[in-house]
Amino acid sequence: SFFDQFSSPCLLGIPLILLSTLFPTLLLPSPNNRWITNRLSTLQLWFINFITKQLMMPLNKNGHKWALILTSLMMLLLTINLLGLLPYTFTPTTQLSMNMALAFPLWLATLLTGLRNQPSMSLGHLLPEGTPTPLIPALILIETTSLLIRPLALGVRLTANLTAGHLLIQLISTASAVLLPIIPAVSILTTTILLLLTILEVAVAMIQAYVFVLLLSLYLQENI
Amino acid sequence: MLSRLILRAAPAALRSLPPPVAVGVLHTTRPVHTSQQRLAPLPPLPEKGGEVRHGLIPEEFFQFLYPKTGVTGPYMLGTGLLLYFLSKEIYVINHETIAAACILSVIIYAVKKFGADVAAFADKLNEEKMANALAVKNGAIKSLEDAIEAEKKEQWRVEGRSFLFDAKRNNVAMLLETNYRERLMTVYNEVKKRLDYQVALQHLKRQKEQDHMIQWVEKNVVQSITPQQQKESIMKCILDLKALSKSAQAAV
Repeated sequence: SFFDQFSSPCLLGIPLILLSTLFPTLLLPSPNNRWITNRLSTLQLWFINFITKQLMMPLNKNGHKWALILTSLMMLLLTINLLGLLPYTFTPTTQLSMNMALAFPLWLATLLTGLRNQPSMSLGHLLPEGTPTPLIPALILIETTSLLIRPLALGVRLTANLTAGHLLIQLISTASAVLLPIIPAVSILTTTILLLLTILEVAVAMIQAYVFVLLLSLYLQENI
Repeated sequence: MLSRLILRAAPAALRSLPPPVAVGVLHTTRPVHTSQQRLAPLPPLPEKGGEVRHGLIPEEFFQFLYPKTGVTGPYMLGTGLLLYFLSKEIYVINHETIAAACILSVIIYAVKKFGADVAAFADKLNEEKMANALAVKNGAIKSLEDAIEAEKKEQWRVEGRSFLFDAKRNNVAMLLETNYRERLMTVYNEVKKRLDYQVALQHLKRQKEQDHMIQWVEKNVVQSITPQQQKESIMKCILDLKALSKSAQAAV
């Protein structure tokens, strides 16, 4: 069935989920003692610096403690998502369990940091400025709901985007393969659509990783 | 790379093998750094990476097969393997093949289009790093060279010190001389002023005496003129005038 690609990988009964989650990071070169490194290391260093600067710019000094976890999360999601586009691969971020495991604790950490260090400011975020007085109770309820739904949204956003993308690729490629002996013209059309979809999926993979980390940094900004 | 995981775990496991095997595989453990000793200087990176054909297969593979199977050897091997997998259905063509073809074409297109630019960018980053360091070094060298030049100039200046002192000495002597002459001039002027005063005093005295004398003489003369003498002098003047007027008329 079409959902077999999302089943947790096993080899002779040995679960490979840990390997499949950690393997993409092994592809990135580790920093060594050289001052002038090869092109890949130079580009990786430049890229990581770029991401970290972008994420840390709106944050104050306390927020910079989160630089390591946010940047490494970004690199993990980016590599996992992009490698998942290759055929016969398993993408761990299609599993809701993994995404919730990433989103929920990090969101909770931002919330608790805010409530602990500046409780009135954090609660104050529940009421936007300039609301008319009769609307205040309703708006507070709405804002609280929106606050509590954030981890769910974070996790499900990533899962849904990637799962939908992979599913679409499977469906359209199946259609293409099935139509090939019957009516090759339509098959070629479908393959063109598949090509465009692949380009879209590459973009989505990168954007979803970025959005996940960006939203976490925004939640951090409010609370730190 | 999984090889990194294996290489890290390998030494302990391999050393426990029987000696002939352990010696044979020991070379695989040698490149592993077990300590942080060798921090510098590392050997320089080679200029170009390993040669690859079609972006994937190292050139060494083709060279390895060349003596036995010539130029087309590896390609025949590849085709044969692929057809073997296809015919025996070890590799089944299904929907994933089409998806694979799509993603591979996207990747190959991206690499061909942007590969050179990305490589040039990476090279530029490294070049900038080196250029900054070289600029610091050259700046330091330049500032030291300028300091040397300035020092040499100062030494040359020191040689000309004696001329400076002579000129200064002459200057001071001239000033003293001028001052002395000015004071001499002042003295002369003062003395002349006093002498002039005395001369003027004497002139004044003389003048006063003369004036007084003239006045006294005039007073006495005027007093001595009697009316009779006055009348006689006036008549004589009139007769002289008549005579003159006659001689004037005659002349005209």
